[in-house]
Amino acid sequence: MNVEEYVTGVRKGEISVKENIKKILNEAKKINKEYNYFNVISDDALTKAEEVEKNRKGKLAGLPISVKDCVCVKGMESRAGSLILKGYKPVINATVIERLEKEGAIIIGKTSQDEFGFGSFSTNTDNIPKNPLDKMRSCGGSSGGAAGFTRKTENVHAAIAESTGGSIACPASFCGVAGLTPTYGVVSRYGLIDYANSLDKIGIIGKNVKDTKLVFDVIKGKDERDSTSVDADFKDSKVKKIAVIKESLNVDKEIKEIVLSKVGKVEQVSLPLVSKYALSCYYLISMSEASTNLAKYCGLRYGESLELNGNFNEYFSKVRSKFFTKESKRRIILGTFARMSGFRDAYYLRAMKLRTLIIEEYKKLFREYDILVSPTMPIVAPKFSDIKKLSPMENYMMDILTVGPNLAGLPHLSVNIGTKDKMPVGLMLIGDHFAEEKLTVKGEELENRD
Amino acid sequence: MKIGIEVHVQLNTKSKLFCSCSNLGSDEPNSRTCATCLGHPGSKPALNKEAFEKAIKVAIALGCKINNKTFFSRKSYFYPDLAKNFQISQYEIPVGLDGKFEGIGIRRLHLEEDPAALIHKGNTCLIDYNRSGTPLIEIVTEPDFKSPNDVRLFLRKMITMLTYLDVYYRKEESTLKADANISVHGERVEIKNINGLKEIERALEYEAKRQETELQEQQETRGWDSEKGKTYSMRVKESEDDYGYIFEPDLPLFEISKELLEKLKKEIPELGADKSKRYRKDYKLDEQTAEVISNDINLAELYEYTIEKGIKAELAAKWLRRDLLGFLSYDDKELKDVSLNQDSIVDLLKLIQENKITDEVARKLLLDLIKEDFDVKKRVKKEKLEIIFDEGILEKACREVIKENSDAVEKVKKGDEKVLNFLMGHVMKKTKGVGRPDVIIRILKRLI
Repeated sequence: MNVEEYVTGVRKGEISVKENIKKILNEAKKINKEYNYFNVISDDALTKAEEVEKNRKGKLAGLPISVKDCVCVKGMESRAGSLILKGYKPVINATVIERLEKEGAIIIGKTSQDEFGFGSFSTNTDNIPKNPLDKMRSCGGSSGGAAGFTRKTENVHAAIAESTGGSIACPASFCGVAGLTPTYGVVSRYGLIDYANSLDKIGIIGKNVKDTKLVFDVIKGKDERDSTSVDADFKDSKVKKIAVIKESLNVDKEIKEIVLSKVGKVEQVSLPLVSKYALSCYYLISMSEASTNLAKYCGLRYGESLELNGNFNEYFSKVRSKFFTKESKRRIILGTFARMSGFRDAYYLRAMKLRTLIIEEYKKLFREYDILVSPTMPIVAPKFSDIKKLSPMENYMMDILTVGPNLAGLPHLSVNIGTKDKMPVGLMLIGDHFAEEKLTVKGEELENRD
Repeated sequence: MKIGIEVHVQLNTKSKLFCSCSNLGSDEPNSRTCATCLGHPGSKPALNKEAFEKAIKVAIALGCKINNKTFFSRKSYFYPDLAKNFQISQYEIPVGLDGKFEGIGIRRLHLEEDPAALIHKGNTCLIDYNRSGTPLIEIVTEPDFKSPNDVRLFLRKMITMLTYLDVYYRKEESTLKADANISVHGERVEIKNINGLKEIERALEYEAKRQETELQEQQETRGWDSEKGKTYSMRVKESEDDYGYIFEPDLPLFEISKELLEKLKKEIPELGADKSKRYRKDYKLDEQTAEVISNDINLAELYEYTIEKGIKAELAAKWLRRDLLGFLSYDDKELKDVSLNQDSIVDLLKLIQENKITDEVARKLLLDLIKEDFDVKKRVKKEKLEIIFDEGILEKACREVIKENSDAVEKVKKGDEKVLNFLMGHVMKKTKGVGRPDVIIRILKRLI
């Protein structure tokens, strides 16, 4: 059963919302002991289910939804995978949560992730999710819990995820599910705990493309509380011409073959600037922004705190030293460096200018092609033991294929198209701004279905 | 001597700069706060249009070039009063650049959020976030001032301008904050966080004198201790402060279209300095009177209204400046603090102009009008306050006064004419001031 069939069943009164929510909560609790997909499992989802059961209305009536930890749910601990926010219960609901609940969806919990989204394997956190197909392997990241549970659950379910540089596509690929990252600004970021505001996008992970699209249609659209949000016309769904990104084929041979055989004979196009500069450009901008976003966590108004002594500088240094992971500290230091006077022109500002050129490079291709295709990830889900051996730079290299569209704010969709060594292989479709319809139409055509 | 200043002005908008919390209102600590002005995770700023437009208006009034596009930046530093440990401010392209006001170059004007207020109590420090997010404009001048007194005069005129634009909430003078740069012979000294006009002048005067005697060898940041009346060293500057500016990624570029600019220009009233000039030219007021009236927008408005209603410019100026302002300043008030009916003032001035009441009666009526409005014409009629031209009544009163004050009369007879005024006062009292003083003196002289 997919989301559409489920919602229809609920609205017709054929499915008991309460029974179904009870079932998925029990399943989540059981799976979680082994797989660590949730930081919090809701304790009032059943009450909400009873309410929905009574009126059975809404485009997502009774649909169980898990929410990535970085998206604020009022009153439910939301800590973006970080210990510094342990115990923090938001005073606001993210706009996406409001929109989902208005259409009858039921929030079942908060899914595990790399702290603040800093990572590609969901290992930079205290609650590390395990790949549903092989517990020795990573789910990918940073939306690891979201993708892992989506694959593992036997129930109908969709996950709210978030991507800054590939955090939806990567885990979707590693777990063999569909991950839709919308155009920057199409989904309100109000209530999203920031990683890098000019790059952060809330999106959806689902068992299949159609599920993600249904949820997308509910959460998209302008929101007064997020000044960067926009309305757009998504009607055009005609896909005439697609191309494969040449530089993206420089990956694992088997993955390359699977991708090429899936898309058939199409043209190959080149994105020289993207392939050469996108990764460093992305990390400079995202770390610069992240280092300012994380400044607010100083043990003063919310989250973890310590006994107050010493002056303010000493106090917050102690709090931050204790509760941030090593990766957060690394990004704060690098990000602060990139925007210091003397280096700002060479790093931060140059990266911002380069970003404009990168957008133009993509735009030029979209005048001719509707969709650009690449593998989502250069490898299949790695083993935790191998991840440990990676240097920070090798870690960052994992995002080589996903940072491009993220940097340019382009919508992209990762779909499962096969396996290598029994592990899923993802294909990524990249569209022009607001081309979500085209992506989902083509994605449904290409994705493997069980 | 070279002085340049950075002035921070809180704007009197309804809501805060980036959230819908009330900007003015309850003083109960932390009662006007929300996720955004408390810097909670997930909160986002949304620009207050009113604050944006008011900032543009001030930039126009300061003669600035208005950038057709402007954006915000994050100024990063850790301080307990900053909710996010960065301040949303403007850096590369502020609202206004390169202006000139009262002969002083204006380097830039930008819009930013005020931090929270720190309240120190003994060993503890409390934080009140009511102020967090209040819209501030920062005005940076060129180092064009030659003396502390220049600065005071400039700021007075600027405050008048801000009041005219209705952008400034003048709760107390300390809502105006400034940093000042001053160098006499040596290196530049920055004095931080001075509150209020008088303090700015005091601090600069102190620092000017200090630098006369001690050669400033290094750039330095100093604080101002108002109680001791001294500046003190905070730190020696080796380099510029590094705030690691980045573009504020939660806010878009803001366009200032030609249409918006035209609309805002139209909304700007004739400013004090222009009014003063016009009063001197058209109404032939002397410089000082013109300045005094135009300095207070409410007074200027009342003045122009009375003229429009047929009161002679000179007469209105005299009564408003000498008498009305005199009464108000006696109570330490300004015109905006009292509710004065403009039409009643016109009625009163008309009676004076038409010679129907004496100055004495008029002053008393004016004093009553400040307290409470009433129908001036009716009161004058009812209490028979018109000037008496019937000398018979005045003569009767004069005779009574002469009878009751024989000592004084003797003095007059001996040639002490000053005592005549004393007797006249008594006649006035008896007749409720309705007689013209010159007439009474004439009668008294005749009778004695």
